[in-house]
Amino acid sequence: MAVPLSQMWTVATYVLKQRLRGLKRYPLVLMLEPLFRCNLTCAGCGKIQYPAQILKKHLTLEQCLKAVDECGAPVVSIPGGEPLMYPSIGELVDALVQRRKYVYLCTNAILLKEKLEQGVFSPSKYLSFSIHMDGLREEHDEAVCRDGVYDKAVEGIKAALTRGFRVTTNTTLFDGANPLRMREFFDEMMKLGVEGMMLSPGYSYSKAPDQEHFLRRSKTHELFSRMLSNPREHWKFNQSPLFLQFLMGQRDYECTPWGNPTFNMFGWQRPCYLLQEGYAESFRDLMENTRWEQYGRKSGNEKCQDCMVHCGYEATAVDDTFSNWKGFKDTVVATLTGKL
Amino acid sequence: MTLEGWVPELSESLTLAEVIDLAFDYRGNTTVVKVDGTEAKGYIFNRSSDAPEPFIQMFDVAGNGPIKILYSEIRNIKFTGRDMAAGNSWQAWLERKEREKAEKAARLGTGPA
Ligand code: SF4
Ligand code: SF4
Repeated sequence: MAVPLSQMWTVATYVLKQRLRGLKRYPLVLMLEPLFRCNLTCAGCGKIQYPAQILKKHLTLEQCLKAVDECGAPVVSIPGGEPLMYPSIGELVDALVQRRKYVYLCTNAILLKEKLEQGVFSPSKYLSFSIHMDGLREEHDEAVCRDGVYDKAVEGIKAALTRGFRVTTNTTLFDGANPLRMREFFDEMMKLGVEGMMLSPGYSYSKAPDQEHFLRRSKTHELFSRMLSNPREHWKFNQSPLFLQFLMGQRDYECTPWGNPTFNMFGWQRPCYLLQEGYAESFRDLMENTRWEQYGRKSGNEKCQDCMVHCGYEATAVDDTFSNWKGFKDTVVATLTGKL
Repeated sequence: MTLEGWVPELSESLTLAEVIDLAFDYRGNTTVVKVDGTEAKGYIFNRSSDAPEPFIQMFDVAGNGPIKILYSEIRNIKFTGRDMAAGNSWQAWLERKEREKAEKAARLGTGPA
């Protein structure tokens, strides 16, 4: 079991409360992007392709906390850009921990060891470093377009684990990923001692420039089935087992774009973490005035047809766990047995 | 394909609303030419075409903003800034890496003859 019980309990009670209130749409994980600046330039990364004046800017601490309070989600994920380059990252994490938010700080870990040595963070059950790792050394360095990053990230992971921090990994998979190498990668990460791993296919959008490297639905099913069938006992995943079953083609879900609302210097992003169709000024405006019916597979929107990413579908899987006994039972069985 | 350097010529088949949509998708600075003859340079990050008074929002080249400009105040938009998304694909990186490998091999005399 990779997600600690206290975190599961917090999420479970939050979801049940929203359902009891009869809320049809509620956020689960706030994607808070304090800046777009990064110390890597991974090819095709949509987060860093901005003119210089935008890359130099960042949200103020107050703007970040206002968004957190407005949204109310129990989990806050801090992607970027590279959040360790955000000048107020220590204060932001402290304030979130004080609010008892479960924080996933998503980092490429290049600066992690240095920040830990400077004492910017303190270990807490609420804080987890989510390290960007797209495979073993060769695959990872290729994915991030720079040699030596894998070793640096491993160094960061070790430094964080030694100091008692929670550490998870997040991995995005593209076409051409080798299931056997990925299985070796899972072994390697567990050997390092990470708490759990998170997986997601890359976003597949029919008009994306790098189409041939994005996974189509059937290919996603094939890759994830080959990678995750007969999972080794020691593998731990820090995400819903129902979501992993969805990636393996064992379940059919619709996207829940409001489950992971995104806030950055432009405002509340419509409709999801991936698509930028406009920005709302307030969280309420986002929830009430986004034309949700235009998104997700059923809508026929071509941008959504092959998308199976975690920020669209993990919230669906979590909702499935708490909306019917079968979903709950399947989650419990998969969590306890480790079988997918 | 990039729109970098493009100065649209508005016509019946290319409306201002369409140019605004393209400018909103563009990952670079643009120059908004206003009806009053003044210009605003910067990054357009939002547009709302179905607001009662449709508008765009931008950060200027110094990063100040957000600056709101109504559709009715805009005459045209020029794609003057560098397209930050151009040539930054994974494919481009792989090709570059292959090229570097081949160059290195050639320097060491180990490459294909
Ligand atoms: S580390 Fe993340 S934010 Fe930075 S360039 Fe790579 S994918 Fe983009
Ligand atoms: S399916 Fe959902 S998460 Fe994916 S692009 Fe569409 S709205 Fe966004």
